[in-house]
Amino acid sequence: MWDEIVEHLADFESAVLTGLDAEGYPYSVRCRPRPDPATRVLRVPLPDYIPIESGPASLLCHRHDENLWRLKSFLVRGTLRREDGACSLQPRRFVPAAGIGGPLGMVRFVLGSRRTAKRYLRRRGLSRPHIPWREINELKAQVRAEREWQAGLRG
Amino acid sequence: MIPEPERALELPSEVEEVFREFRTCEMSTLARDGTPITWPTLPFWYPDEGRFLITTSIGLPQKAYNVRRNRRVSLLFSDPTASGLTDPPRVLVQGDAEAPDEVVTTLDGFEDELGRVLRRQPAGGFYSSNLLTRYVFEWYYMRLMIHVRPRRILWWPGGDFGRQPTGAYRVG
Repeated sequence: MWDEIVEHLADFESAVLTGLDAEGYPYSVRCRPRPDPATRVLRVPLPDYIPIESGPASLLCHRHDENLWRLKSFLVRGTLRREDGACSLQPRRFVPAAGIGGPLGMVRFVLGSRRTAKRYLRRRGLSRPHIPWREINELKAQVRAEREWQAGLRG
Repeated sequence: MIPEPERALELPSEVEEVFREFRTCEMSTLARDGTPITWPTLPFWYPDEGRFLITTSIGLPQKAYNVRRNRRVSLLFSDPTASGLTDPPRVLVQGDAEAPDEVVTTLDGFEDELGRVLRRQPAGGFYSSNLLTRYVFEWYYMRLMIHVRPRRILWWPGGDFGRQPTGAYRVG
């Protein structure tokens, strides 16, 4: 797990750290975590005013391009410790998501999601709902026409 | 029921702009063991109603399960990629969410939102492009709605988290 975290973390300039505040609400900030190979924790420079308390926390890295595509993301679940002005995250679990694991990872993700969806319906005694493909594709065609028209104006 | 705001939210225009233009926000929900679980998601902001809508597929229902168990959530708007905004503030919304157990597939009343997704993510149209992709990805179009009402909104001009947020808005 540690090696995977270090490998993928190097691919991101910053990450989103989320912990809990005193009222039990999630509180997130952007930060620049740094792996500490000696102790296998992530050192997180966190300003003192941030009200995240020691305890369960997670670290998300994600990105997308200008067209909301080429997605890459992963999550590290762990325990946050704040002590004497220092802050570190002890990783407990690495959760790979979009763009990690190659084509096989993508196939696993799609098949897993299909299974989960079937189970969701089955447990509630619901039949497979109708998807309005015609309306979806009409909307898609309309958006494509708009895009071509705008490209024509620019070109 | 999640608390209604006492009045329409009066937010600076640059914060409203972030809600409107950022492509994603980082949504956190609480797992059974209390760990905040954060994933990027596409938010829809309804200023007149003072609420956000997030949707998730029944193929990825964990966010909704978490909300049904614990309504406390947060949305961080920290990635301006593709927003077209120059040096926007970064914004944290803490709030209460509701996730009705109703599978939605209809486009009625949701055309604007799907249109916006297709404009912003053109390659996403692939999922419905032919019989095979429709079969493989039909789960993606079976959605659960998650409604988020803000309790507190904080913002950091220029995204400088090293300083205290200069803005704060508390609902109720």
